[in-house]
Amino acid sequence: MTAQDADAGDETVDIAEGIDHQVAMVMDLNKCIGCQTCTVACKSLWTEGGGRDYMYWNNVETKPGKGYPRDWEESGGGWKSDEHGERQPGQIPDQEDYGEAWEFNHEEIMYDGSDQPLRPDGDPEWGPNWDEDQGAGEYPNSYYFYLPRICNHCTHPSCVEACPRKAIYKREEDGIVLIDQERCRGYRYCVEGCPYKKVYYNATQKTSEKCIFCYPRIEGEGPEGETFAPACAEDCPPQLRLVGFLDDEEGPIHKLVEEYEVALPLHPEYRTQPNVYYIPPFAPPQHSEDGETVDVDRIPRTYLEELFGEGVHDALDTIERERDKVDRGGSSELLDMLTDTNPARKYRLEVFD
Amino acid sequence: MSENREPGNDSETRAGRSRERRSVAVGAIAIASLIVVTTALAPMLVSARPANQIPVESVSVDDEPQDPTSDAWDTVPAVDIPLASAPSGVPNASDTTTETVSVQSARSDERFYLRLSWSDETADSNATDPRAFVDAIAVQVPKNTSARPPIAMGNTENPVNLWYWSADGETEELLAGGPGTTTEFEQAAVNTSASHDNGRWTVVMSRDIESDATNRTSLAVDRDVDVAFAVWNGSNMERSGQKSVSEWYHFPLGSGPQGPPYEAILWTIAGLAITGVALVTIHAVRNTRGETR
Repeated sequence: MTAQDADAGDETVDIAEGIDHQVAMVMDLNKCIGCQTCTVACKSLWTEGGGRDYMYWNNVETKPGKGYPRDWEESGGGWKSDEHGERQPGQIPDQEDYGEAWEFNHEEIMYDGSDQPLRPDGDPEWGPNWDEDQGAGEYPNSYYFYLPRICNHCTHPSCVEACPRKAIYKREEDGIVLIDQERCRGYRYCVEGCPYKKVYYNATQKTSEKCIFCYPRIEGEGPEGETFAPACAEDCPPQLRLVGFLDDEEGPIHKLVEEYEVALPLHPEYRTQPNVYYIPPFAPPQHSEDGETVDVDRIPRTYLEELFGEGVHDALDTIERERDKVDRGGSSELLDMLTDTNPARKYRLEVFD
Repeated sequence: MSENREPGNDSETRAGRSRERRSVAVGAIAIASLIVVTTALAPMLVSARPANQIPVESVSVDDEPQDPTSDAWDTVPAVDIPLASAPSGVPNASDTTTETVSVQSARSDERFYLRLSWSDETADSNATDPRAFVDAIAVQVPKNTSARPPIAMGNTENPVNLWYWSADGETEELLAGGPGTTTEFEQAAVNTSASHDNGRWTVVMSRDIESDATNRTSLAVDRDVDVAFAVWNGSNMERSGQKSVSEWYHFPLGSGPQGPPYEAILWTIAGLAITGVALVTIHAVRNTRGETR
């Protein structure tokens, strides 16, 4: 039975036409410590060498900040309207905006007895995380948070629409967006068409490449035939990610996104309908000059609204209300889900079988 | 003219006759001029060969026609082919920069050669930056040379072969049955060599005339073979459907009489025939009028 069948007459989850199920991820930004373990897990698995050195299919950027690639939010792409008929023009980022894969003076320091500090060769002026922890605001009310990003495996992927060869597609069984490396001729319309800039050109292979939601892991293609969640999720020290199908009504993702509406897509105004959802970040309230707590949001709501859309207000209010309920000794299904540490419930791997 | 005027009975008929005479004389002068013009201009017109034809000269392999700078090409006539932006749905499809490609064609006993030359100030020969695209040129011939396919890369009933050279040194031989369908042959049978001098690319492509491979065009045919061209300027980020393209041209590979002499004779005969018919008609009309008067 397909999701559409299950949902017939019971209008709930909006997944793409012709797709049986839709993979999804929820990331709780309140748990992210910016350790980049997800980044390294992804990189060591998929993007080491072969023209992929500059690519981070998973990256973690500091917000507010320019992100990776630099100023990706100003690079265009996505759709002009919710009809998904006409695409917004987009730009391919410059190599400098991604940053080069730096070479370091390891050799000199480790083997040649140099007393130079460890540093990259050349004189780089930008790179991923160049503005790490910089954030915004002034002491004592400065603020920042971390934003882990992967491909959103969108319901209306403008990268797919951009390809004149149909080399990039949304696969039927789970909505993962993949590039057929045999069909791709490296035109990079997908790179410019993705408003999140999560498709990367490989100049060595002369094709574009992207996050594959670790599909061999969720398909159980590992050494023991075991099924695993994507590496970025499994390897996360604070376990901030939930993995499953959006249309799996028994899973926490469906509840957080569709029922409680506390997990929100990034930049919904790009209109691609992303399937990575974020629990928006809380921060302590602002302080007065003499250190007293004042009733002002440290992270301006307007900024969160820029990132996550209008839904962020209700989402934050809902979480706060449920918190108060628990503070008063009550129980909350929502907070139970957000604080669950059981891997079997966080990663609904059985749905992938 | 007035001295030829015949005496008449009254002034009215005299004036009428005079008008007739004058018009016949004007007609005769016009025809005479036409003959002169035809005789003078026809050879010039026909020496410009039939529309959209690319003559195929003979060349010896010993003269190294595969070398873009070889003297072998000095005696091969070049056809300047105008290019225009291809109609395409890709972004910026109408923003193309190459306006002309100069094409020469020759054949040895075994191989078919094309020398393609076009203006491009920057040699974009590597795409190591995400925003960098390479210069490229493609030649399109129908898989089945007896029918002309749609110019935008053929269709499924009538696919095309593409010989694609890109400035990073890659040569591909592709099969296409419409836009977005190019599929690479496992082994390219096309050789390419290129040079970039004084702001011009010159690329020589060659291929065996014979082909019995599935889906590969045979040039061992006794007919005109359609051909079209596409050029991409890498520094203008041209790729895919953002390209300058020609209309259909053809190689006269049929065994019939070819070239200027044959054409000149035809044109002369046609010209004389038209003039003769006109003269006879006018003469007859004039006689008829004379009789009735």
